[in-house]
Amino acid sequence: MKPSAKMAKLVPLLAVFFYLVCVSEAVFEDQVGKFDWRRQYVGKVLFASFDSPSQSSKKLFVATDKNIFASLNSRTGDLFWRHVDKMGPEGAVDTLLVNAQDALMVIGDGRLLRSWDTNVGGLNWEVVLDTGSFQAACFVGIQDTVKHVAVLKKTAISLHYLSNGHQKWVENLPDSDTVKYQAVYSGGGEEVFVLGMVPHSHLTITVYSLEDGEIIRQRSVEAPWLSSVESSCVVVGRGVLMCVDNYTQALYTLAIQAEDSPQFRQVLLQSLDLEVSQDFQPVLVSTQPHPARSPLPEFFLQLGPDHHILLQLSEDGSTIAPLRDFQPVFTNTRACAVNLFSADSGRRLLDTTVIFPLDANGGKPQKLYVHAFLKKDDSVGYRVLVQTEDHALTFIQLLARSRVVWTREEALADVVTMEMVDLPLTGTQAELEGEFGKKADGLLPMVMKRLSSQVILLQAWMAHLWKLFYEARKPRSQIKNEVTIETLSRDEFNLQKMMVMVTASGKLFGIDSKSGTILWKHYLENVQPNAAFKLIVQRTTAHFPHPPQCTLLIKDKDTGLATLHVFNPIFGRKSQISLPALPRPILQSLLLPVIDQDYAKCLLLVDDQYKVTAFPSTKNVMQQLQEMASSIFFYLVDSEQGTLSGFRLRKDLSSELIWEVVLPTEVQKIVAVKGKRPSEHVHSQGRVMGDRSVLYKYLNPNLLAVVTESTDTHPERAFVGMFLVDGVTGRIIHEAVQRKARGPIHFVHSENWVVYEYWNTKSRRNEFSVLELFEGTELYNSTVFSSLDRPHLPQVLQQSYIFPSPITTMEATLTEKGITSRHLLVGLPSGAILSLPKMFLDPRRPEVVNEHSREENLIPYAPEMPIRTEWFINYNQTISRLKGIYTAPSGLESTCLVVAYGLDIYQTRVYPSKQFDVLKDDYDYVLISSVLFALFFATMISKRLAEVKLLNRAWR
Amino acid sequence: MASPGGQGSGALSTRGGVARRMKWALELSLGNTRGRGDRQSNQGDVMYPIGYSDKPVPDTSIQETDKNLVEKRCWDVALGPLKQIPMNLFIMYMSGNTISIFPIMMVCMMAWRPIQALMSMSATFKLLENSNQQWLQGLVYSVGNLLGSALAIYKCQSMGLLPTHSSDWLAFIEPPQRVEIMGGGMVL
Repeated sequence: MKPSAKMAKLVPLLAVFFYLVCVSEAVFEDQVGKFDWRRQYVGKVLFASFDSPSQSSKKLFVATDKNIFASLNSRTGDLFWRHVDKMGPEGAVDTLLVNAQDALMVIGDGRLLRSWDTNVGGLNWEVVLDTGSFQAACFVGIQDTVKHVAVLKKTAISLHYLSNGHQKWVENLPDSDTVKYQAVYSGGGEEVFVLGMVPHSHLTITVYSLEDGEIIRQRSVEAPWLSSVESSCVVVGRGVLMCVDNYTQALYTLAIQAEDSPQFRQVLLQSLDLEVSQDFQPVLVSTQPHPARSPLPEFFLQLGPDHHILLQLSEDGSTIAPLRDFQPVFTNTRACAVNLFSADSGRRLLDTTVIFPLDANGGKPQKLYVHAFLKKDDSVGYRVLVQTEDHALTFIQLLARSRVVWTREEALADVVTMEMVDLPLTGTQAELEGEFGKKADGLLPMVMKRLSSQVILLQAWMAHLWKLFYEARKPRSQIKNEVTIETLSRDEFNLQKMMVMVTASGKLFGIDSKSGTILWKHYLENVQPNAAFKLIVQRTTAHFPHPPQCTLLIKDKDTGLATLHVFNPIFGRKSQISLPALPRPILQSLLLPVIDQDYAKCLLLVDDQYKVTAFPSTKNVMQQLQEMASSIFFYLVDSEQGTLSGFRLRKDLSSELIWEVVLPTEVQKIVAVKGKRPSEHVHSQGRVMGDRSVLYKYLNPNLLAVVTESTDTHPERAFVGMFLVDGVTGRIIHEAVQRKARGPIHFVHSENWVVYEYWNTKSRRNEFSVLELFEGTELYNSTVFSSLDRPHLPQVLQQSYIFPSPITTMEATLTEKGITSRHLLVGLPSGAILSLPKMFLDPRRPEVVNEHSREENLIPYAPEMPIRTEWFINYNQTISRLKGIYTAPSGLESTCLVVAYGLDIYQTRVYPSKQFDVLKDDYDYVLISSVLFALFFATMISKRLAEVKLLNRAWR
Repeated sequence: MASPGGQGSGALSTRGGVARRMKWALELSLGNTRGRGDRQSNQGDVMYPIGYSDKPVPDTSIQETDKNLVEKRCWDVALGPLKQIPMNLFIMYMSGNTISIFPIMMVCMMAWRPIQALMSMSATFKLLENSNQQWLQGLVYSVGNLLGSALAIYKCQSMGLLPTHSSDWLAFIEPPQRVEIMGGGMVL
């Protein structure tokens, strides 16, 4: 806490008292997991594979778009282990091949070949492959044992031993500049087939010897209809290449192992009574159950989006016969059925139907990964991993009874933005609150009202006691302590909140902040993958009986058009509110403190003609807007043009440009702009100096921190700029340029300070810099703040420090009233979150200590910033690929709720000034109360004894 | 006088076997009573010791000097607070300006005593009733106490416990109201 006056010199005395109450800041061992939780995710699954073909295996391997290779427990859905590779194309998984104990991965467009031990998740070996873009890879096996892996690149093919990764041979592909090699195949023989083609001309088959990589033969087959081997050809049966062509509406077969010059044989689809749907590119799917054996002669032909045909190639490869026509119709949006069919005959197997309910708020199934096995009684069982459009994974098992075993919400691996919303009050609490909300109508009715609400409270308490008593008699296992939406209510200190998370896939989640349980989810269809999101809380829970209301602004990057999704953040339900029509691209939005008669704040949407649309746009709001129009300003930052422009709203909801600042894009680029958080409270308006005078803070609510980076990245000439601009007038309050520095810049703008972190290219280290703004020893106007009436520029103090680690993100703690001192939460690349006291980032830290600075409790300046291990708030719960930290105040002034998200989600509480307003967690109630009772009884007894003694003395 | 049974029976036990049956007895003669002597004086029919007289003896010889003594005594009372000031000054000097438990206690005592004394002024005035210079003495007494409390306030001031600086009122400054509403950001 900040001692706000010197009278607060008494504070040390009190501090001693507090110190007895709360001693520690770090988490004790027994507190692990008490206030915090972590959920680990892997991302959207690209490749999935089951462990072994037995029933007992419980491992599942997935490789995802987040460059992660992980093993899941198929019984619970938990992670066994997870390997997180580099972000971006460098770590992208090209393919995953699993064979017995080995899982092979080609990574980074054919940069690396890795083999993992599937049992423990350890790396067997890793080899760096020759340069060249990756095309295909397959296992090569002879006589049922797989010993090699072949990797086909654009210009070369290489064969590696499976045991140690050593390269057996590498051969350049002939004519690789004209021929596109796209597939590699091995049917369990001594040969490796490489398929290449010249589009619309011919197909080439190159056969390599497994032993030494010599070209055994080379064939060229006329195929003027062929445009891509990858997309239209598969190998079926014993080395028969099957291709499909949309233009000629025919299947083409070719025996690739044939010695003499082969020819494609055309089978018209019409002859099989098949027809391709309009505008659909037919796709072939074949299955190779074991890499050392040839693929099955049965294969699928997809003729339409929902239309598949199972076809069978006869033994000699001459005839194709359709086995079964699959035309599932998605009429029922509530449930899906999975059936198992025999590949030989196309018949449905009995008792293999699994019906699993589809979440109404989820996406449609996209892909199935099936694992069929023989049960002990020789009947067939299977497991299915269903991947849906919303990146959710559902695991279904058919054993004794079919059921959904678990569901993983992998969309949460990519959280874009989030908000925390207070939970609603319970009925009784609302009753009590409502009492104060109602208008006073005389003394007696007020008393009656108070009495009635007290009676209701008493009733609720009795009911609670009865419930406790009733449950105490039940066995412990029956009591479920699960959180459901129905039982949700605000706790005493408002520590439990609803986390509303928006993910990049367009799925929204409502998560209970105390337990991490997903309470609701809602999938928004038709959200572009690169859409921009902005989540706004329009109405909080405070306006009972009006439900809270959140609005999500989704902007399509391609068209620029925006849509609004209005929902109730507690239940996730879409609100039935008429939305404004948004025919023009939306540039920005701003939330006004103007409320309509239903207590919803007004949201203004600015379109590309700088006209404004209000939502909600009731008459009440429009009237208020017209009255206030002259004091509503907004700013837009266009980083491509390098302009900052400020606008003022007119009464007709158009706007006028009032200022513009141009930062030439040839020199520097605007990277980020941040204002202050509107929910922030600043308790103290100034700082107390050593001589007991006050240095008043410059608390301009309209201040913007604009960060620029130089376009020149040469270490000697690179620079980083920090501009403090008034968002109303466009006045540049301060300008700080850090020479020989470059980004990425992470910064926090709060109260009267800006903290930013950059890379110093000269000294090659990370540095923190802090800017603090003060008005001076006198306030210009203590009652109102207007940017238009500020003749004096603030005093700016700056100091820089060396930080021993790079950082990934930064945020400041936030508390209810702003009395508690601030900490910076710094996310490190290691996945740790450091809670750094703002006290260390104070430009008034003196180089020479004197009486005054000691009086102010200023730490002497030291260029190095320490990292103390007890400052890590997430102990060993590291957060992979930390992307953002969100802070929210709780009902307790000492406590700030923190959510860190990235690949994982972590929630905890921090106490920047320790827990000064609440008894600590392990407060010994039993000891204290027993001592109290013991003393009470001792007093009673000794009082009695003393009375007896006095009486006896009186008789003497 | 009623004597307690236990003691009474003890007294009677020497008389013989007949008296033994009695649980208690009331002795009306005063001769061998063992009761407490001070209670005897309350009773009218007690025998007074030799030389005791019921009538008060008038004392007239030392009237003048007594008057002076009262006056002196009253001045002592009135000047008491003033006399304490040098002592307080010394304590103040010794305790220093640091804030810790002992100086705080001393300052509290120093501040509290004059206030207490001023609050019980009426009792002091009753003491000074007999003096001729009652009002002057009262004035001196209160001035002394006021000086004492002033001294305590000065001590508080030098210790920095008085809210005399702007920083002491900082916590009560309300955050200024903002006139303009502003929002916006990077073009989405």
